[in-house]
Amino acid sequence: MLPIAVDAMGGDYAPDEIVKGAIAAAEELDVPVVLVGPAAQLGDTGGLPIIEASEVIAMDADPGSSVRKMKDSTLVRAAEAVRDGRASAMVSAGNTGATMASALLRMGRIKGVQRPAIATPIPVPNSPTPTVLLDAGANAECSAEWLVQFAQMGAVFAKQRYGISQPKVGLLSIGEEPTKGNPLVKETHSLLATGEWIGSTGAQFVGNVEGRDIMTDEVDVVVTDGFTGNVALKTLEGALKGLIGALLAAFDSSDEARAASAQLWPSLLPLYAAMDPENTGGAMLLGVDGVCIISHGSSSATAMVNAIRVARDMVVGDVVSHLATAIRPN
Amino acid sequence: MPAETHVEQGPVDRAYVLNLVRDRLADILEIEPSSIQEGDSFADDLDADSLALIELVEALEEELGERSVGFRIEDEDLADLKTVRDAVDYVVSKLG
Repeated sequence: MLPIAVDAMGGDYAPDEIVKGAIAAAEELDVPVVLVGPAAQLGDTGGLPIIEASEVIAMDADPGSSVRKMKDSTLVRAAEAVRDGRASAMVSAGNTGATMASALLRMGRIKGVQRPAIATPIPVPNSPTPTVLLDAGANAECSAEWLVQFAQMGAVFAKQRYGISQPKVGLLSIGEEPTKGNPLVKETHSLLATGEWIGSTGAQFVGNVEGRDIMTDEVDVVVTDGFTGNVALKTLEGALKGLIGALLAAFDSSDEARAASAQLWPSLLPLYAAMDPENTGGAMLLGVDGVCIISHGSSSATAMVNAIRVARDMVVGDVVSHLATAIRPN
Repeated sequence: MPAETHVEQGPVDRAYVLNLVRDRLADILEIEPSSIQEGDSFADDLDADSLALIELVEALEEELGERSVGFRIEDEDLADLKTVRDAVDYVVSKLG
């Protein structure tokens, strides 16, 4: 297997945590990894090879112009490595927009894909599989045709990543009835309802779903435009963080509560681990001609190991070929 | 032109640039190159949006950068490129 190219300078804790994660992944997962960045700044890389890249796109930089201007940036070089057959995938915890732009402009789109989308796993309590939410922020405004392609790609991802053989695909709206929603949602619903898009995905369209359905087993893939998807994602993240904070405060509020929580912890820890963004393995950019994993900006070494694991699995599972078949069967 | 700043593989004529633009655009839009006319408007005739234009620019910079080191299409000039002819004329003028 070709090495997985890891953007060593992406993220709030780069390069130390990223390099640490890359080294751990190479050992624990027995997968070749190559770091992308300025060798002089990476410290001890544990013998991992390095693709030199002298520029770093900042987390708050404008994605499009940065990718255009910084030809020697870590993100651009990582995407080029995949394009040129020197790497099997790229992983970054850096600027999400720039990661997307690099992948899009260097790897290119899978034939027939109009727009790539970010597919993010949303944990479902007490369920072995998460819900895949897409688009989680790549395209603020979408056409109905794009959303249909998101449905196809999301179903393929759910199947390949989580082993869901017949993914239930829902369209995010403000009500279950087909008449509910804005013009884009109504038009998309009518296209999805034909079933003509299903092909090799094995998906089943379950109709409109609401925000409260995302973290349930009612649906496996939730399709929406990037603006709404990003709002939904950040709302869920904030709500979970707030709830966990409130629970911890309650547990610490008295001696009785502390004693009771000690009994509860063993039951709660697996649930906490499932909800922890460090363990989800990041999001995948679906629709580019290569595997591109986007890890959370605050990724630690643990998160990087999990992101690299997902990259490996998507390469081994040849998810890009499955996506291409779903989009353009002939 | 000093050799160290200009790597040339032969003269670049307008016909070559037109064919290059046409081929790359056809690839991006997934249409036949022969269906692209020089006078076509990117937005109105070819349905090529801003993303397609950026993809075209990147492809041209990559291809022509090998012929002329430092060849670059400025982002602020993109808005003026409305037709295939505009793009060809711009590239030819940049290549000098």
